[in-house]
Parts: sequence; structure tokens; C-alpha cells
Amino acid sequence: MTMRRTFLRLAVAATLGLPLAAQAQPIPVGHLMDNSGATSDVGVPYGQGVADTLAWVNNTRKGINGRQLRVLGFDYGYQAPRAVSQYQAWSREGVVAIQGWGTADTEALVRFVTRDRIPYISASYSAALTDAGGKSGRQGVEAAPFNFFYGPSYSDALRAMLRWAADDWKARGQQGKPKYVHMGANHPYPNSPKEAGEAMARELGFEVLPAIVFALTPGDYTAQCLTLKNQGANYAYLGNTAGSNISVLRACQTAGVNVQFLGNVWGMDENAMKAAGTAANGVVFPVRTATVWGQQAPGMETIRQISRVSDPSGNAYRPVHYLAGACAAMLMVEAMETAAQNGGQVNGVRIRDSFYARKDWVPRGFEGVCNPSTFTAEDHRGTMRVALYRARVNGDTSQGSVAELMQSGTMKLEPVTTIELERKREWLGW
Amino acid sequence: MTAMIPAGEYHATYREDMTIFPTRNSRYALWIGIALLCLAPLALGRYELGLLITIGFTGIAALGLNILVGFTGQISIGHAAFFGFGAFASAWLHEYAHIPVALCIPLAGLMTTAVGMIFGLPAARLKGLYLAIATLAAQFILEDFFARAQWFTGGVAGRITEPFTLFGWVADREESYFYVVLAYVIVMFVAAANLMRTRDGRALVAVRDHYLSAEMMGINLAYYRTLSFGIASFYAGIGGALYAHYLLFVSVEAFNILYSIQFLGMVIIGGLGSVMGSLMGAAFMVLLPEVVQAGADALAGGAVDRALKIGANISFLREMAIGATIILFLIFEPDGLARRWRLIKAYWKLYPYSH
Repeated sequence: MTMRRTFLRLAVAATLGLPLAAQAQPIPVGHLMDNSGATSDVGVPYGQGVADTLAWVNNTRKGINGRQLRVLGFDYGYQAPRAVSQYQAWSREGVVAIQGWGTADTEALVRFVTRDRIPYISASYSAALTDAGGKSGRQGVEAAPFNFFYGPSYSDALRAMLRWAADDWKARGQQGKPKYVHMGANHPYPNSPKEAGEAMARELGFEVLPAIVFALTPGDYTAQCLTLKNQGANYAYLGNTAGSNISVLRACQTAGVNVQFLGNVWGMDENAMKAAGTAANGVVFPVRTATVWGQQAPGMETIRQISRVSDPSGNAYRPVHYLAGACAAMLMVEAMETAAQNGGQVNGVRIRDSFYARKDWVPRGFEGVCNPSTFTAEDHRGTMRVALYRARVNGDTSQGSVAELMQSGTMKLEPVTTIELERKREWLGW
Repeated sequence: MTAMIPAGEYHATYREDMTIFPTRNSRYALWIGIALLCLAPLALGRYELGLLITIGFTGIAALGLNILVGFTGQISIGHAAFFGFGAFASAWLHEYAHIPVALCIPLAGLMTTAVGMIFGLPAARLKGLYLAIATLAAQFILEDFFARAQWFTGGVAGRITEPFTLFGWVADREESYFYVVLAYVIVMFVAAANLMRTRDGRALVAVRDHYLSAEMMGINLAYYRTLSFGIASFYAGIGGALYAHYLLFVSVEAFNILYSIQFLGMVIIGGLGSVMGSLMGAAFMVLLPEVVQAGADALAGGAVDRALKIGANISFLREMAIGATIILFLIFEPDGLARRWRLIKAYWKLYPYSH
């Protein structure tokens, strides 16, 4: 790897005939993607969002303070051990920050990135990553001073959905205790908000049913739906990503299950709505950005420019995860810019500290798209605001592209409510 | 000992017949090879060393499977589970019993041997496809155990392990850990080569060649089949423990059925019933994805990529290319790399009179 790099550098120097030392050294950044694994359904648009944004920063903003970003992408197929070995390869190359992906790998890497002091911006919103100071005292939660993510944590998002569900139950004039059930694979990612959600549900007066397990891969989940039906669940949390959730939604539609599904932030998007058809109708899930594709906002022009990096025609429909990827990448970019100010060194510690430099932080040029985030040295819960949307599908989705279906109104993302949770001390890291 | 051997077999003693290195030069070549490997950390980058380390510990595990499949004629499609058991056992021994990592590795090998013997019990009675299914069950039972036994494995979240230390020397970098793996590779391969020269080793081969004849010669079939499972598990456990203290993180996800099949692939590609072939097969299986990845990287963003609109699907191309290479290999080189290596050596030895 090193040899290849030196060789490339020599080749570049030879062809350009420029003294290499005169040019600014590029900044190496790792980008871990799942393009082929169990969560690739949502990993592909998110990874594309991150990659396009970083390329756009290089092209239009001349990188960070005149230094280009050298983005080292790697598809790890959602295998935590592969992520760990890739991390070790990157740490040898001296990456200063990493855009990560899943919960299992991010949690496994917490100790490594803390030791090597490399800021790690994950697409896992596991609450265990928010306890920056390690002061929550929760079992199994370690200090994660170098872990960041954009958006509400899985636990907080679920708490918000449960709060909405409790109101919804009353608003519909239902009698008795509503029944809540957690559904997902036995994997760190769906397990992450399980206890927090069940505790919150009990607190809100739900009857909590035993959790139902279904794998992260698409399959026949009729048995799970029949369990839902027999237990008489009213609200069910779908902890997996879109691909396997679609299977559940379709199986439950066939089985005639009447339950309000609450999706994880990765559990639903426009592609899943098209694939699931009317089975996805009514699913409530959190959306991390203030706008979705096709809506207008000052920052949407920037996003459309970014989208052209991988789609010069400008026609591609970008699902919610693409926008979230852009926001997550921009947090890292702006933190690096702050670190580089006044001739500062762009290293892990300075990037980490730059995450604390702003309050209600919206990246420049992304107003109206990225929601404000605030990080402190103790608390890496970037936001406690959870915007809930409902998937609306009122027709056949088998014909036409996602863009056409959204335009014709066959599929809609309908804002439900925005819930502002209290920044409770005892919820930190949980 | 002479530098050359005369054409034909003129062995006058059993000792001569059993020797591993028939000529002085072959023995020198081995010593020079080991010396060169010892110097590798001075010359190679950490990426290359990482690959060599991976080849080392997978090679040890593959050798275990080769003893079972290639030498004893049994089958196992649960080897990755035993590999994983060794990894978890070593991590667990260090975490709970506070045994130094240097001791945890052999102990993990022994623990895996015990588990392997239990799952090998059906082998005393079953053959062929039936045995394959029994070992498949072992794979799934152990995998499920890893995912649920929080106390032992850390559950689905996995377990962080500590680096190898010996009298204050910490092997937490490729440059230092390389020597640990190299030492284990030498010990384990020499042990296997010598095992095949013992009474027990010959008994294993006899069981493979014709179990009925073996039994008539007084070989206890049940005993040797179970023993073979034990030895294979020991090698898998050592390989897994070395893996655990290299990656510093163990998770159930790594030890799936696909990895078991990969081990079988290594043994078949390397050469069934060849000690060195196991290492060659492991090297092939470790390097192939890297080569294909380099090819995919070169392709990404290029003219071919744009013309065929591959984009993100390039990662699937990688998996497909690996599969295709293995199939082609099995068609054109069914006896494995070990035989090809012998043919190459013979070509140079006999030149220009080969026929």
C-alpha cells in the first residue's frame, strides 16, 4: 500500500514536473461503507451522499484550507471484523478522521479510536456512543470522546416515537393499555435502543410484549406477523434496515395484521416505500433532515450541486439517507476547517475539539437541510429534536421510478410532528 | 547427506526413507527461507506484513483441516466454528482468568481440542455426507452459542482482546506480531510433518485409504477418527487464538459457514494430503481478494466502469471474480498448488531431459 502510494506520487511528480514538496499534502480520511452487506439497502445511498459531498468539497472549496481530502473508501459488507482490520490499515496510513457506518463495528472501534485519537463520525446512532465523558456509569458503556454522529440517537428517536404513539392512542379514543413490541435481529444495531424503548414504553403506560426477532436479511416473516396478530400488539418498532422491514411489512399486510409500525431511522425511505407498496402505508419514522428531496430550502441548491457529482444529468432522486450522509460529511468537513484555521494542524484532537466550537451548528450553505447540532465535551447527543414523518403510499408503486411516484403523489413523506425531548442526564449513553 | 540423490529410489534404511528433506540443498533452502522471513519486517510495509500474518494463522487452521480431510479422509464443514472457539477461548481466558496471552493461545488450542472431540464423536460412526451434515450442525450450534453466551463471547457485540506480551515485550504491531505467528507456523508445521511419520500418522492415512483394511490391520477406527477431529480442532484453535490477538477484536460474525467453506477451499486448492499445500492454499485464498480488490480499484471510475455503469456494484464484481477463480482453479488444477509446485521443481531438476 505504502509502496503503491510512493510510486503514484513519483509518477504524478514526474508527469507534472512539479516539485512535490511545494504542493500541500492531501489529508487522508477513511470512509467505511456497506455497499454489499446486510444493510446495503440504506448503506448505498448514505455512502454515496458522503462520497459525493467530500468530492464536492474537494472540487468547489479546494478541500480544507487549500488541502485536498484524500478519501479512502472501503466496502466492508457489514462485517465488524473486516471493519476492524480496515481500521488498522487506515490508522497506519495516518487518517485524521473516519466516516463510519454500522453499530457493531463502531462500538467495537470505540476503544481503538479513543486510543489513536481519531474522530469517528458513524452512521450508527447508538446511544452508547454519546457518553463522551464516560460518566453515565452504565454497564458496558465506555467513554467515547471521539465518536460523533449526525441526528438523534436510536434510543431518543424511539422515545420520541413512543411519546407520539401514546398521544396517538388517546387521540384515536382507544380504551385500555396499548401494547408495544420491539422487533429486530439479534444484532447490536437493532438491540441498541431495545431496553431504552421498553423502559420508556412502560413509563408511558404501554404493556410491553416480548420482543420478536427477525433477521437483517429479507425473508419470509409470516410467523413473526402471526405472533404480532396473536399477541394483539398495537405499536411495533422495526429495528432493522429497510430491506428486511419490507419483508415484514408485506407479510403483515398479507396476514391482515392491524398494527402501527414505528420504523428506525434506517428502517424506511423512499426506495423501501416503492418496494413495499401499500404495505408501507402509515409507517411512522424519524427523518434527520429538515427537508426531503424535491422540497425547497436555501440549502437544497447545494445538495443538488453535490448530487451532480455522481449524477451529472441531475435527474436522480436522492432518498433521505443521501441527505443525512451529506450533513454528516459536512460536520466533519467544517470541524476540519475550524481545526485548520490560523495555520492550525489538522489532527484528531483538534478536529474533535472543533466539534465543540459551535452551538446549534448548521453547516454553511446547508441551511434548511441539515438540522442544528450541538456537541459538548460531556455529551455527544447532537440533537434531542426528533422530526417524525409518515410514509404515505396510495396506489400501485410497481410502475415508474421513485422520482415519478413522488412527483405524482402516489408516494408521499408526510410530516407528523416534531418532538423535543428533554436532555435528561440519565438518558446519556442509554 | 548428499547434495544430489541418484535417479530412482535407493533407500537402504527406514531413516532414509522417512526423511523430510532428501538432499542437503533442500535443508539449506529451508533455513535460508526462514532467515529471510525473519528479516521481512525490516523490508516490508505493514500492509504486506499484515497479509503474511493472516496467511500464517489461516494456514495453521487450514493445516488442521487438511489433517482431517486430506490425511484421514473425513469431512468437516464446521472448521470456522472451531477457529472461532479458539479465538473466543483465548480472549475469555485472558479476561477472566488473567492468564498471560502467551499462555492463553496454547490453552485455547486445548480447549478447542476438547470441544472438537465432542463434536467429532459422530465421526466415529458416520461417513461421507452424513458426517458432513453432522459437522454442519456443529457449525450452527457453535455459532448460536457465540451469539448468546454473553459471559464467554460478549454476545453479538463481540469482545475486545489484548495484544500478545512475553516478559514485557508487547507484540501489538505487525512488525512484532509477525514473529509470534512465524514461530507458531514453524512449530505447527514441523509437528504436522512429523506426525505423519509416526505410527498414529500412518494410522490416519490408512483410515483414509481403506477403512476396512485399516480395521483388519488392527487400527481402531473410532479412536483414530475422533483423534483426527481433536488434532484438527487443536490447529483451528491455535489459528483462531492467533487471529484474536492480531485483530484485537473477536465477533461472531467472522466465523460463519462461508468461512468454513473457505477453509475447505484452501485445503483443496493447496492440495489434499499435503502439509505445505495447506500454507499455499491459505496464501492463495488470502491474496486472491486483495488482488481482485486492487483490480476493482483500478477499474473504479475508469472508462470500463463508466461504460458498463458498474458504480457501487463493483464490490459484487469482486465476490464474483473470487468465486470464478476458484471454479477455474478446480477445473484446471484439481490436484492443488502442492502438485504444481512439485512439477515446477521437477522441471528444473530434470532440465533439459524432462519428458
